[in-house]
Amino acid sequence: MRAVLIRHYKSLHTWTGIVAGLGLFIAFYGGALTVFKEPLTRWASPPAAQQTEGLQTLFDLETAPALIRRTLEAHPEVGEDFVLHLAPGIHRPSPLAWKRHAGAADEHDDLTPKHYFALPAADGYVEAKEGTVSKVGEFIDVLHRVVGLPFDNNLNRIPMGIIAMLYALALLSGLVIVLPSLARDFLALRLGKNLKRMWMDVHNVVGVASLPFHLLIAVTALGFAFHDGVYFLQERLIHGGEMRAAFAPRLPAADASTDLAPLIPPAKLVAQAKALSPTFEPERLHFVRLGSPRAMVRIWGHDPTAHSPRAPGGFLALNPHTGDVLTADYVPGRQSRTMSLVASLFALHFGAFGGAPIKWIYLFLGFAGAWLVYSGNVLWVESRRRKSSRGTGVEGPAQRRDVRMLAALTVGVCLGCVCGVSFSLGLSKWIFGWVDDLLFWHQAGYYAVFFGAIAWAFGRGAARASIDLLWAAAVLTLSLPITSLLGRAFPTTGFWGHASTVGVDVAAIMLAACFAWMAVATRRRALTGPKDSVWSLAPQVLLECPPDAAFEPAGASAEVSS
Amino acid sequence: MTRSTSSEFRSDWVSKTLAGVVLGFTLALALSGLYALAASGVHLSERSQLAMWATFPSWMVALAGGYACRSGARAWLLLGALNLAAWGLFFLLRLP
Repeated sequence: MRAVLIRHYKSLHTWTGIVAGLGLFIAFYGGALTVFKEPLTRWASPPAAQQTEGLQTLFDLETAPALIRRTLEAHPEVGEDFVLHLAPGIHRPSPLAWKRHAGAADEHDDLTPKHYFALPAADGYVEAKEGTVSKVGEFIDVLHRVVGLPFDNNLNRIPMGIIAMLYALALLSGLVIVLPSLARDFLALRLGKNLKRMWMDVHNVVGVASLPFHLLIAVTALGFAFHDGVYFLQERLIHGGEMRAAFAPRLPAADASTDLAPLIPPAKLVAQAKALSPTFEPERLHFVRLGSPRAMVRIWGHDPTAHSPRAPGGFLALNPHTGDVLTADYVPGRQSRTMSLVASLFALHFGAFGGAPIKWIYLFLGFAGAWLVYSGNVLWVESRRRKSSRGTGVEGPAQRRDVRMLAALTVGVCLGCVCGVSFSLGLSKWIFGWVDDLLFWHQAGYYAVFFGAIAWAFGRGAARASIDLLWAAAVLTLSLPITSLLGRAFPTTGFWGHASTVGVDVAAIMLAACFAWMAVATRRRALTGPKDSVWSLAPQVLLECPPDAAFEPAGASAEVSS
Repeated sequence: MTRSTSSEFRSDWVSKTLAGVVLGFTLALALSGLYALAASGVHLSERSQLAMWATFPSWMVALAGGYACRSGARAWLLLGALNLAAWGLFFLLRLP
């Protein structure tokens, strides 16, 4: 009975993995990079430093009230929703920024709205300047959130939720498979002649070692996909219709008195947050519904001594006219036990705790997750391998059609995603100033490379394409630091390379070196490894062929890519 | 459940999957209601978030566990019975 059950769960593991694996690869690769979304965005954004002199005074909190007042005089609609950044950034010409949605806004869509900055004009007015802050970091994040689809909206979160369910099933069934032999096999790495055994051992050790991370990611991904529906049902079945009211108890009614006190200066708002939590480091003030009784400012920031409740940090919400605290539930390190527990789910998904070391660990865990699903597909392919049989004299029998297909699809999707992301990042510097709609080109560039790579993999076969595409990934990734270097050496190229984002360039060099090494290793394996494999470049012969056909010249009867 | 050696283990992928997705979800909702009752001292704005997140681990465990049933029909029966018990307990505890 036990053996039957384990075989049953093995099938479950295999097929959930195969169906969800390629989407998960994109989610992991994009998610790993999203940990560094902020530096990637800065890396990809042109310097906004035309007004470097005066930029410091512009970011001086003492001048903020005047900037806000003049902005609202010139553009009253901005009071509905704008941000005041406290620290200058190389990509920000002004501390005051807002965004405008073209159509109906989705709360999770930060990709399509246009961003504007308030620049002081000579005559005392404020000029709205469209921002050049790059969207490519956000685009990579969206790829990660909706497993490779271009926009994060309600519809696209359904496939994301289904993939997350398959992922959870793959994890739990994988656990059932390895549990009986865990003590014996966990650290048994049988490195050696039997390549499939070795891949299986490494797949198991990586899977078991990062299981807590994966369970956490799976549960939170399900929550991100389905929370609206679950809240809807729980409100009716469990909370008796009282939940919605419980969330906004301290906001006054919409028809409350509009006789408002003047806006409290940002410096005092920041001081109020610091008084509540001395270890909290405010970064920006997000004002909404200014000048109405329901006005609110969220003071966003990080606390190095605590975990962050959300990806961009935590916040204190105040009424900017009265200074009343609207909610302190999201101030990092000052949360109730329950809120701290809920916040830890977010922090553990985003790696939003523990500072830079945790971010690097999360990058590594994300890449490891991508490798885990990739190796799962490789194992599927290897388990269905047609062995050469000495008796017939056929050295490299042709592999099954579905096996060749899945091998090509795996190589195309995984390496297509890697190449596409690097290409899309590079575009931010290469075509800046030449095109109007940069976001469109980021997306078009990514998908062109992604689908091109898949087509290439099917056309050339998995073995050849994996070498080609690994080299392409190495070259495209290496082009990023080269572009930065060119920008620094020759500013006339129109490129740029910020000193503050050298870390991105260094990481890209290391990543490119990894891809190049993998290309070399893959080529060596294709040439000298076992010939009865989809990864071999040796000519393969259809087993169904009559025996004499097997002795025709190499490649005459069948190719890997046929 | 008694396990007689004569009855065969059936895969019943579709039936077990549907049972886990549908009844596993309603079971997880009932369990989240029981957590919410147990945490009734916590303010509703916080308790409701806890209950929302608590849904997913139980749903996935119920879904994955359903495949261990000997047939699809048994998965529906087992999860159905657990649903009745959990929802029954929830409404019973909420009565007063």
